[in-house]
Amino acid sequence: MKKVIPGLLVFIVALFIWWLACRTGVFPAYALPSPGQVLLSFKEEFKAGRLVNDVVASLWRVFVGYYVAALLAIPLGLWLGRQPRVRNALLPMLNFFRFLSPLAWIPFAILWFHIGDKPAFFLIFMSTFFPLVLTVMAAVATIPSIYFRVAHDYKYTGWELLTKVTFPAVLPQLITGLRVTYGIAWVVIVAAEMVGCQDGLGYGIWEARNGLRLDSAVCYMIVIGLIGMGIDRILYQFTKLSNVRWGYER
Amino acid sequence: MRFSKPIFIAFLALPIVALGLLRYKPWSALGQADKDVIHEGPNARAHRDLTIGFLPVTCHLTCPVTDYASKTTVSNTNFNSRLFTDFPTVTDALKSKQIMATFMIVPLAMKLREQGVPVKICYLGHRDGSEIIVAKNSKIRSFADLKGTKMAIPSNFSNQHIVMTKLMMDYGLKPGDITFVVLPPPDMPTSLASGAIDSYFVGEPFCAKAEMDGYGRVLYYARDIWPNFISCALVVHEDLIKSDPDVVRDLVRGIAQSGKWAETHRAEAAKLAAPYFRQNLKVLNYVLTTNPPRVEYVNLAPNKHDLQQIQDIGIKMGILGKRIPMDSIVDDRFVPDHIADETLDLSKLSGTAPH
Repeated sequence: MKKVIPGLLVFIVALFIWWLACRTGVFPAYALPSPGQVLLSFKEEFKAGRLVNDVVASLWRVFVGYYVAALLAIPLGLWLGRQPRVRNALLPMLNFFRFLSPLAWIPFAILWFHIGDKPAFFLIFMSTFFPLVLTVMAAVATIPSIYFRVAHDYKYTGWELLTKVTFPAVLPQLITGLRVTYGIAWVVIVAAEMVGCQDGLGYGIWEARNGLRLDSAVCYMIVIGLIGMGIDRILYQFTKLSNVRWGYER
Repeated sequence: MRFSKPIFIAFLALPIVALGLLRYKPWSALGQADKDVIHEGPNARAHRDLTIGFLPVTCHLTCPVTDYASKTTVSNTNFNSRLFTDFPTVTDALKSKQIMATFMIVPLAMKLREQGVPVKICYLGHRDGSEIIVAKNSKIRSFADLKGTKMAIPSNFSNQHIVMTKLMMDYGLKPGDITFVVLPPPDMPTSLASGAIDSYFVGEPFCAKAEMDGYGRVLYYARDIWPNFISCALVVHEDLIKSDPDVVRDLVRGIAQSGKWAETHRAEAAKLAAPYFRQNLKVLNYVLTTNPPRVEYVNLAPNKHDLQQIQDIGIKMGILGKRIPMDSIVDDRFVPDHIADETLDLSKLSGTAPH
């Protein structure tokens, strides 16, 4: 509880400054909607059922795209980490794609996957797959070689080596990598939904803008921030699991 | 705390299963098969569907149109509308044939045709409906005053850009005398208010917004500077024209008749369109009901002479590449000879509510 109070206080102060800025007219109403207006639009969006629908749509897209990326990236990273030659061959290509903004893929996403959930899955995949492979690969490459020598003495090979040594050893870095890439995914979904989608939180902001409803846009921004934060807290809890602690206690 | 494998897998699988269920709602009988359609036509017994794309930027009264066309269909078609938020997405959707008909800015349709996308202009969406807006206290009083200022336009392929270029030629202004900035229409009123631009030229309701908020005034109505200003047209994929010409004819008839209705029932039309645009009814009402009329929904048959003029200027400007015969861009076979009078019962005019 003690940890929560300072954060909450800062939040309340920020809210107060926002309210004051509107109240004193530092920003005119058309440039910054007041907290009161935003609260009203919260109610309106919630009542219309749009907000819930948009939250589900965005979460669904992020989860599917992200799961597919993780399911492919983690095994690939684990394998590449132990194969210096292949790693060297693929590294430039992986890095090249990592630095391509997923938003640059938007026109292709629409042309290839049309409109709806699929282009969003694709964009989430493109934004998270490459950083995740690189993270896992780098983590495996830095496992002290003594681990593998000991594993060799125990005659661990193949699956056993992977599940008893390699995977547990990289788990802490893997979870950090997952948190970072999840952050990317959540940022990208909002941008991706601004085109090529017909619902979702990003679409909600875009539509609110088109409808000249900044109050509703702010309401969506708040929801996006809160959900992003909430899921990160859940992922953070993973670092506390004793399965993961193994990696820390080297 | 330790996680056993089954618990861990369950923990991972749970959110995706829950979200999948919430997303597709298998328990609801109809499901949400076509979530992309924002407004479904009310004709449940129709044996075919056609979805028409539109943007909420130029007073497209597409929802009432499709609603109306579905009710009065003679080809037993249900017309749906699908809201897009930008033109690049509309063009991509048209290229990949996800939508076969849409409202679109005319020069963009010409550009698509030039690129080999087989689309044709079958009808117009509306006339006029755009204004040049300057700041309320601005010293700009005439076209000549715009020299040396910064003007926002919605797209390089917009008719607003074409009209401005033609007027600049007429007034002897050189290219570059007015700096054009492409801005998303919703950002134009606020950019004007903050002084980032000196003026903007765009379709409604983004002009009305600046006026209603008290920091902008109309310098010119589109019709003052280019009578019968064309902004958007109904663009249809040729495959549909070939396979179902009667559906296209039915749609054009619907647009013509509901346009005639909207022309004389403006307040009702605003009320009808507002929920689909997620826009403030006050703004739409202002756009549709102020005098002199800002937008017209009559005289919508595509006139080859008008369109040729647009193409010629587009080519001079360099936004269009080559001269394409008007006959290959325009298909006016579907224009009705006589537009019947229509009475729409507002209380019955509702299909599926917008999501």
